[in-house]
Amino acid sequence: MSTTQAAIEPLPTSPRRRGGWRAVRERESLTGLVFVAPFIVGFILFSAIPMVASLVLSLTDFDPREPDEIHFIGLANYQQMLTDPVLHESLGVTLRFALLVVPLTLAAALGVAMLVNSKLLAGRNVFRTLFYMPMQIPLVASTIVWIGVLHATTGWLNYGLEAVGLPGPNWLQSTFWVGPALGLMGLWGIGNMMLIFLAGLQSVPTELYDAAKVDGAGSWASFRHVTLPMISPVLFYNLIIALIAAFQYFTQAFVVSNGRGDPDRATLFFNLNLYREAFGFFHMGYASALAWLLFVIVLGLTVVLFKTAGSWVFAGGERCPRWPGRSAGRGPPRVRSATTCGDSVRSPR
Amino acid sequence: MNDNQRTGEWPWMRIPVAVAAVVLVGAACGSGASPTPSGTPAATATEAPSATPCTPVEIEWYVGLGTGENEEQIPQEEAVVAAFNDSQDCIDLKLTVVDNTEAADTLATRIAANDAPDIIGPIGIRALQSFGDQLLDLGPYIADVDLSEIDQSLIDAYNVGGKQIGIPMAVYPSFIYYNKSLFDEAELAYPPHEVGAQYEGQDWTWATVRELAMKLTVDTNGNDATSASFDPANVDVYGLDAQFTENDARAWSTVFGGSGSVLAADGTTAQWPDNWRTGLQYFYDGIWKDHFVPNQTAVQALAAGNTFQSGRIAMDVVHQWYTCCVYPGEGTPAVTDWDIAVLPVGPDGNITSKLHADTIGILDSTENPDQAFEALGFLSQSPELITTWGAMPAIESQRAAFFEGLDERFAPLEIDWNVSTLMLAYPDNPSHEAFMPNFLEADSANKDLGSKLWTTPGLDLDAELDAQVELLQGIFDSAN
Repeated sequence: MSTTQAAIEPLPTSPRRRGGWRAVRERESLTGLVFVAPFIVGFILFSAIPMVASLVLSLTDFDPREPDEIHFIGLANYQQMLTDPVLHESLGVTLRFALLVVPLTLAAALGVAMLVNSKLLAGRNVFRTLFYMPMQIPLVASTIVWIGVLHATTGWLNYGLEAVGLPGPNWLQSTFWVGPALGLMGLWGIGNMMLIFLAGLQSVPTELYDAAKVDGAGSWASFRHVTLPMISPVLFYNLIIALIAAFQYFTQAFVVSNGRGDPDRATLFFNLNLYREAFGFFHMGYASALAWLLFVIVLGLTVVLFKTAGSWVFAGGERCPRWPGRSAGRGPPRVRSATTCGDSVRSPR
Repeated sequence: MNDNQRTGEWPWMRIPVAVAAVVLVGAACGSGASPTPSGTPAATATEAPSATPCTPVEIEWYVGLGTGENEEQIPQEEAVVAAFNDSQDCIDLKLTVVDNTEAADTLATRIAANDAPDIIGPIGIRALQSFGDQLLDLGPYIADVDLSEIDQSLIDAYNVGGKQIGIPMAVYPSFIYYNKSLFDEAELAYPPHEVGAQYEGQDWTWATVRELAMKLTVDTNGNDATSASFDPANVDVYGLDAQFTENDARAWSTVFGGSGSVLAADGTTAQWPDNWRTGLQYFYDGIWKDHFVPNQTAVQALAAGNTFQSGRIAMDVVHQWYTCCVYPGEGTPAVTDWDIAVLPVGPDGNITSKLHADTIGILDSTENPDQAFEALGFLSQSPELITTWGAMPAIESQRAAFFEGLDERFAPLEIDWNVSTLMLAYPDNPSHEAFMPNFLEADSANKDLGSKLWTTPGLDLDAELDAQVELLQGIFDSAN
């Protein structure tokens, strides 16, 4: 594109030439449209139209069993959210779960990625495959297996705990333990996140580690001051994805609680409550409003994260990490990388 | 090129989006076609089939909301449909079978799309409540139909707010399945098979059952639940269960407390009757205090919820349909010698056999109610269907053949099926699955309570039930 422009732009701008340029541009636009058409059509059919439909439905009392009884009720569904104790409970369950699971999965995925990236590990490719393999198992199947593993009296986990003299909790029937149990299950699915971290780790130039070593940095200092800043864009991406996934958590909770949020609503996640309203009680209007609330919450959190990203994400030379405790002239290694500190970035003073 | 410029190049994109939005708004807010009035069914339902040629009317029979969707059941249903189509020329009956897990949602979607089937079922009392408002009142149709062979209380079970939404086809009384081997091992007498009979000199009440169940409950060290050394954390055999009640607090209240309703006679006030409170307390204490009933965790470890099949439950209150599942599909059965016993007298002074029943209903959106009722009449009179659904016929004269089939299946055991017939005389009325305003939400709230009782020790049950009544009142009120 830029080559074409460079070739064309200096030419005289006669009307005829302009017409030719326009024709080329139109042809290119048309070709581009053809290529992106499958996405656009798919997006319109399966995302845009349902979104518009759900927005419209959220302003009604639509019940699919009584389609003729639909009424426009304005913002009543949104007003109902303010006084719906079950919704508040489900929001609490989801928030607590997100606070537990997001850091847990990020730390576990990064830890495993560092492990399988380590030169000290023999058979790294085998381990990478093994850690990724759970991703190939359907969620429902793996959840059913986990239900067996976590069973209070017959589960392997409690057998193991008993073997070392620890009392095994009632993982899935206790309102306290069911959250951690689901978090534990979540670790089963860190394969994707691990791969992304692994890619990030492998893109860190070894020169930076060499320079840090020369500066006397140990393993922790290298990790803290080289690895983390260098993979911060990847960390940021995984954080956003993990947060969205936590708010969209559904399948495992549905299987574990028979779709009802058992025990005592301790697994009534936001999406499970939404599902119950839509397909359990046929309150399609209210469920649509809940879907929009979820959209707004996730959008809001994502925006907040993007706002904070400027202070801790280092990408494309836009920002360089400061080295705490170092005086001027004792900054980070002077090695520059296009993926970290670009040419425009000055060394810290 | 920024995003705005890009959008500006394709103004035509706004057109389909706008059209889609308008269509959706129209679809969502439009009134659609009004249901066809059912006309004068009583008059037409009893008309003799016309001898003159007619254009066949298509009637769709939707199966999947209850039993009937299993692979081995479908050919039998197809055969009955073929037999009906061969018997006349004016109605073309079509069979649609949908997986049970999707059937309710699919039906709701089809109703929303004005593409509803005509006949639905077999379907139980509870599931029927979900679509109660959409069902045709069969009252005018059955006015001239001979239903004398069906108990009136069973017919009443399908009368919701004065509307007869179904005719009982299959009935499933509940009674006690007991594992004779465990009784023999504990050297205890079997429970009674006759109403009014005593057990070891005591009246057959839930209090007697409690004593018996505690003697039958044994921990892994061999101590029974009456022993001071009994270890409730390691129970090997439980004395009593009421399996497959799916957390339903109404069901448990009925089993152990007798008939009742969370809806007062005025049709709007929520309540939890005293006999239900007593019954539920009995059940709750059985789990957490006396330990002869398994809690939810234990249930999951006992044949994945099919507790009696595990061979570790001495007595189990279940319905007639449980004959389906006493033995596992594969492998050696854990239960080899079993029989059935009558239910005891409850705190209300009565025997109550919680009843399940299946029927077939007609959606009031049908454009051909007369033809639909004619097809329904044929289906409900087809013993082949009852047999393939494993159901006890609501029509009395068909029952002997049903029990003979069971005898063949369970030979050489000689199960006392007379117990089942006896218990049919004590159905819960009102049904534990009866109508409640805002049914789905209220039903879910009751199951939430059941889940809590099943998993949480140390609750003040009266306080929980008071809170439940308050919750239910809010749900009932929101229906208006």
